[in-house]
Amino acid sequence: MSSDGDRTGKAGIVVAPEDVGSMDKLAYSVVDDLLYNILHDLVLKVHQDEKTARMRTAAIKVEKLAMENSDLSTPDARPEIVVETDAALYKDGHVTLKGNPLKTTKEILCPRCQLPRLLHPTDGKGAQKPDPNTTYCKRHPYIEKPGFDIYGQTWVQPGPGRGKKKKDMEKKMDPNDPAAVAAMEGSAKDRPPNVLSFPSATCSKCKRCILVTRLNNHMGSCIGNSGRNASRAAAQKISNGGSNGGSQNNDNTPPASQKGTPVPTSRATSPRKRDGDEYDEDGDEADPISAKKKKLKPTALPKKVILKTKSSTPTLKKDKIKTSSMLSVEQSVDDDDIKNSTVQVVPKKTTPAKGASPVKKLKIGLGTKPQFSAPGKKLGKKEKDHETESTGTMSSPPH
Amino acid sequence: MSANAASSKDHKVKEPQPGQPMYGCEHVGRLFNQDQATINMSIQHYKTILRALFDINPMVPQTAKGMDGQVVTSLTPTYLCLQCPSTLTEEDLSKHGNKKSHRFYVESRSGALYCQMCDDIVWDPTFEDLRLKKLGTGSFFGSRKRKHEELFAPDPVKDTPQYISTNTTLATCKANGLRGIYNAGATCYQNVVLQSFLHNPILRNFYLSDGHQSSSCDTPHCLSCAMDDMFQEFYASETTNGYTAANILSGFWISEKKAFENLVANKEQDAHEFFQFMAEELHERNGDGKRPEIGSEHTCNCIIHQTYYGKLQTSTTCQNCGGVTNQAQSFLDLSVPLENLTQKRGKKSLANGDGPARSQTSVTLQECLDEEYIKSDKCEYRCQNCNSVQQARRQTSIKKLPNVLSIQLKRFEFKQGRNDRAQKIETPVQFPLQLNMLPYTTRARTQDLKNEYELQRSCTYDLLCVVVHVGDMDTGHYISYCRVGDQWFAFNDHKVELAQKSDVLNAKAYLLFYIVRSLS
Ligand SMILES: [Zn+2]
Ligand SMILES: [Zn+2]
Ligand SMILES: [Zn+2]
Ligand SMILES: [Zn+2]
Ligand SMILES: [Zn+2]
Ligand SMILES: [Zn+2]
Ligand SMILES: [Zn+2]
Repeated sequence: MSSDGDRTGKAGIVVAPEDVGSMDKLAYSVVDDLLYNILHDLVLKVHQDEKTARMRTAAIKVEKLAMENSDLSTPDARPEIVVETDAALYKDGHVTLKGNPLKTTKEILCPRCQLPRLLHPTDGKGAQKPDPNTTYCKRHPYIEKPGFDIYGQTWVQPGPGRGKKKKDMEKKMDPNDPAAVAAMEGSAKDRPPNVLSFPSATCSKCKRCILVTRLNNHMGSCIGNSGRNASRAAAQKISNGGSNGGSQNNDNTPPASQKGTPVPTSRATSPRKRDGDEYDEDGDEADPISAKKKKLKPTALPKKVILKTKSSTPTLKKDKIKTSSMLSVEQSVDDDDIKNSTVQVVPKKTTPAKGASPVKKLKIGLGTKPQFSAPGKKLGKKEKDHETESTGTMSSPPH
Repeated sequence: MSANAASSKDHKVKEPQPGQPMYGCEHVGRLFNQDQATINMSIQHYKTILRALFDINPMVPQTAKGMDGQVVTSLTPTYLCLQCPSTLTEEDLSKHGNKKSHRFYVESRSGALYCQMCDDIVWDPTFEDLRLKKLGTGSFFGSRKRKHEELFAPDPVKDTPQYISTNTTLATCKANGLRGIYNAGATCYQNVVLQSFLHNPILRNFYLSDGHQSSSCDTPHCLSCAMDDMFQEFYASETTNGYTAANILSGFWISEKKAFENLVANKEQDAHEFFQFMAEELHERNGDGKRPEIGSEHTCNCIIHQTYYGKLQTSTTCQNCGGVTNQAQSFLDLSVPLENLTQKRGKKSLANGDGPARSQTSVTLQECLDEEYIKSDKCEYRCQNCNSVQQARRQTSIKKLPNVLSIQLKRFEFKQGRNDRAQKIETPVQFPLQLNMLPYTTRARTQDLKNEYELQRSCTYDLLCVVVHVGDMDTGHYISYCRVGDQWFAFNDHKVELAQKSDVLNAKAYLLFYIVRSLS
């Protein structure tokens, strides 16, 4: 195949100089052929993806048309009619192509939702503004843009002043950056704005709401009891909480046995004192409202919370506000563990409101097995929480 | 060539699927609508051609006979006529077509079908199914040939067909399993392992087809339930925000396993240990409940065993009497030392005057595997025959290949005398996108398999995931790359970005996950 002049292969890119020997010429043409093969394989792969997508699009379109023109009383059956488009023919209940779909079909429909696929990313490299009048399939081309992820998301770094930063960035987003606007428009409404902050999660043991970046640290001391200074007291605390709290504590290794073993990793677990600021940052991060309560917490250290107000206000959000403000007022004296009680009340509420997906949070909260068996009761369960909290009993079974 | 059960019956054109044309083009449609004999002949011939392309010496299909009678062997694609036994160069296609009215040809590199009337490759559902099966398992029936079966771990699809359903469970077009995982405070070593699970097709199919339902499991703090929840979150929810692996984390802290002795007490948080920990936990939640003991030949049919476990065989040959003792043991992963090879390299390059740039000398994964699973070493052992301690040769090879091969490159070596501190070996290891494991099998010890193209192909693994440790031991960070289809993604905790193959291949891998081609 490398016949033409013998100085190159099929690609014709790697060409031997005129005055070299025949072995050299051969070498050049081999390299050139290999290059051809690489290109050939790449092109073939793209060809397959593209042509298959267009074939399917042509089929989806003509099938849709057939359904529309068929007797509506039997929408499921494959209609016994003949329908034709420029690209395909629907006959005898199946589709045949007319011509080359690469020529006849321009757009690509999603085989699942049958909506047009967005063909260019909405931001970053190769971005194009999508047609605002078209509803696209939710699977978008991935975004390639420094500082952003494949969905065009970026994160507010946790740290002081982040609340402000977040607002600033959001403002910046809105005005005249077409890509940003496009991203907003193009995405479904349920999608969070593309500047995200670190969420919080509920500790399965103590039910406190912990900023995700501290979760390992917290669990290390709360569950693993591994803080370097994790004292006997802390262990005691856990076991107490366990006996009061319910199911999930039973299977813990007895605190005594845990204590010796776990040594915190240099990175993973930092000294006990961190636990103190956990309050702060958790609250902080969770949302602006809880900022208040966090200030209170370390000082007030309320043990058990009796929230009369709370039970009267059913909505989560308001609840939360009240809760936090209530904390300043309420105080309780009980033998129960300090932290446990604080957590019981506050963070639980903050969780659902804060995160991007309340459902998920809920799920995590429900993660303790006993409740899991009745997933339908999610709401009911939450209400129960309310009650328990309002009565202020720490030892209520749902926790 | 007609040893197939199907050849006794008539061949069938693939049933029309909704949203898909029945034929690749009008012309294939016309071919298939002629009569049953034409269908039979076309499909049978296509299969024969695929076997010629993939199961025998590639020289044969690459050799074409020109119209002028001249024989040409070419590196570039040739075209095999579907309607007669001719092999043609691209240049001679139209001549052959016009002369014989043969219109369909199979391209030799890929097995794809070329339609001369379309003047284009056509992707016909019937032919494409055959081609993909051939490329995957090496047979037309979707599972491995019986004669190769003992070389592989059981095929999870065949053994438990309910795990096949993949796309049906995906609730929305948006949910595609691509989400980051928040770092919960130095948990990047967990995140990379979790991502490797999430993008493992076998585990994905298992969990998405309710292989372990958290709603009907009453083990408290079950890590398999936590996995189930996580898979749901990644593949059934539209959320693109990072995931908080709180349940995994608490399951980890609650577990009485090695977690406390190794993972936590150890100063280094090691992704490999976390992988082992998770594998053990998930095996216990889904399997026979027995601890998979190292060194034993544990047989279990749980999802973890089906996915990761293979078997090694160690043959010890007595130098005195020549007696051989074989010992088999299961493995979850292959741990490949780098230190010796690196040192050898270093000396060699010094001797060659290449300078002492030891950190720059790179080794290949295959060289590392050669050291472990081809070469033998000397040892002393108590021979039964001789009834005394004798010098012996010991050689380890892979008796059963796993479906997903996980390889640990031992970058962290403990050195005696250095305060027992582990040291990181930074040697770059070149690893391929496709890995042929046949040379490391026990089968390859006893047989010459150079010309067993079909077997070679069934032992081909595709790179699936790479876990990378960056930085030094104490302040390091883990990131990973995973492949979804043909696209690579870089996972850095909560952040997911597109990655190029070159990014992946240039990474200093710590853990490598390869999936056997028939399942990828
Ligand atoms: Zn869609
Ligand atoms: Zn806790
Ligand atoms: Zn022919
Ligand atoms: Zn055609
Ligand atoms: Zn479970
Ligand atoms: Zn098992
Ligand atoms: Zn002997």
